[in-house]
Amino acid sequence: MPLIKREYNGKSPEDFRLVLDFEGMENPQGIDAYKSKKGYEALTAVLKEKRKPDDLIQLVKDSGLRGRGGAGFPTGLKWGFVPKDAPEKYLLCNFDEGEPGTYKDRYITEISPHMLVEGMVISAYAFGAAKSYVYLRGEFYDEIGWTEKAIREAYDAGFLGENILGSGFTHHMDVYTGSGAYICGEETAMISSLEGKKGQPKLKPPFPAVAGYLGKPTVVNNVETLAVVPWIVRNGAEAYRAFGTEKSPGTKLFNLSGPVKNPGCFEVPLGYPLKRFIEEEGGGLLDGKKLKAVIPGGASAPVLTAEEVENITLDYECLQAAGSMLGSGAVIVIPEDVSMVDVLDNLMHFFKSESCGQCTPCREGTGWLGSMAHSLAAGHGQASDVERVAAIASQMAGKTICAFSDAAAGPAMSIVQKFPHEFQSRFG
Amino acid sequence: MSTTTHPFSDELKARIKSFLTRYETKRSSILPILHAIQDEKDWISEDDVALLESEFDLSAVDVREVLTFYSMYRTSPPEPWRLEICNSISCWLMGSKKTLEAAERRIQEAKSRGEKLPFSCREVECLGLCGKGPVGFVNKERHENVTPERALQLMEEYSQKPLPAAAVRCAELQTGEGSASENPHSN
Repeated sequence: MPLIKREYNGKSPEDFRLVLDFEGMENPQGIDAYKSKKGYEALTAVLKEKRKPDDLIQLVKDSGLRGRGGAGFPTGLKWGFVPKDAPEKYLLCNFDEGEPGTYKDRYITEISPHMLVEGMVISAYAFGAAKSYVYLRGEFYDEIGWTEKAIREAYDAGFLGENILGSGFTHHMDVYTGSGAYICGEETAMISSLEGKKGQPKLKPPFPAVAGYLGKPTVVNNVETLAVVPWIVRNGAEAYRAFGTEKSPGTKLFNLSGPVKNPGCFEVPLGYPLKRFIEEEGGGLLDGKKLKAVIPGGASAPVLTAEEVENITLDYECLQAAGSMLGSGAVIVIPEDVSMVDVLDNLMHFFKSESCGQCTPCREGTGWLGSMAHSLAAGHGQASDVERVAAIASQMAGKTICAFSDAAAGPAMSIVQKFPHEFQSRFG
Repeated sequence: MSTTTHPFSDELKARIKSFLTRYETKRSSILPILHAIQDEKDWISEDDVALLESEFDLSAVDVREVLTFYSMYRTSPPEPWRLEICNSISCWLMGSKKTLEAAERRIQEAKSRGEKLPFSCREVECLGLCGKGPVGFVNKERHENVTPERALQLMEEYSQKPLPAAAVRCAELQTGEGSASENPHSN
């Protein structure tokens, strides 16, 4: 057998490029470049062959595609919740990418914004939405422009608008821009924001698929989730399931950040070994430093020690079993010379700043965690403060409208439990 | 002449009107309208909020809700150039704190010499380019690998550029505002 460079399960890294297929092409953003590599073929086939919407929902269910924004909810199942007979339905693309460590969605639109547009039109067709919005965070000035341009080109080419390709299916798409609020990445907060209100999450149920934007059924899907839909439609559920693990099928984009030699956005099959990812994709740590800890799924994911990293694979189940989560796929590497007390201070400052303030356990909890972590980092703390961090964190999870409070509590708890010795040396 | 000038240009008024009908409800237009106002005059004043109610029929309460919740809206006149450096975990691991300190020091040093630089510097949360940290913005332009040296270099580069149109407009309205506030209905 010929030797495959950096072989994984008999395949080379090039075989895993479902979403990043356009990487490395010259000027890949335009519609012509997209069409040169099967772009809009899936949508054309769906509409020309008059594929049944239910068959598409079933296809996505069969593919096992799970939401790539962080929660990992099965995409086809979400689409299936939308009431069939509702006269007005919406698709909302979550492009609020703000989870520290995550920059994959912007990368998708940097290389192929049309992949997102095509995925959105197909998805909208599957559950019958005539209107969709791409909700982008306000700081994504370039990305807003790229997305708007792709939408305009799709209208000009007849892939958006009235009676698309003579199929009788009409779909309109627009962008909407946030204005600096991490919480708007939470789907119901995003809906509040799109309605022109402060971005505060709403109590579920009712779930957005039943009562979302303006009370109408609304599916909120992440950019990466929608962008892979055309591939699944072209190649089938089985082909998609050929990648990844049984419970976490497919590939996923992972972002690597922190002091590594080769930070960036990589597409690998789910189930890929974390250690290998850091060493091979990332080239290892800068300056030959040793690994101390890894945040595997964005700032909301509980921290793993270097020892734990040895046996972790990048899939939903393995990370959950390890007490953390795959989240948005943002792998953040922490080297030996960084104090976990300072990491806690940094993370809790983030959550304190970004809590929307709606629920008391979160508003007060993130406030206290932020202040206490800061005091510990400044050398003013004592042993009882570390215990109090754990006590507060334990009262924050599962007690609020959305998962933000849990997202702050998890990392705090993991740091004080896994690195107690680092706190002792900093007591005042 | 600025006292008799409407605070919104004709172009801005046209943009506001187009946003009012672009979405399913008028209320959804508040976020984009506030962005548009800020793009033209660098910040959003209480007078602007009142104008949105009186001329465009947007509830001032609804507008204030949005204005005060979202961190990108500025409710006081800013410096012409705003250096915003991400200090979230990935950028912080790459030394963003030092970048922030260097930029702030430069501003304070100038101040102690009685010199006012056209810059402000602040720490912001994740900007979504975490592999190229520290990441920063100068107004709407994103910069990667903003080391302390690079931050000072950027300040040098931007101080050579003509002031942004919004900053010029902001200053014009500021100088006219004293007399305008004496007679808010002067136009």
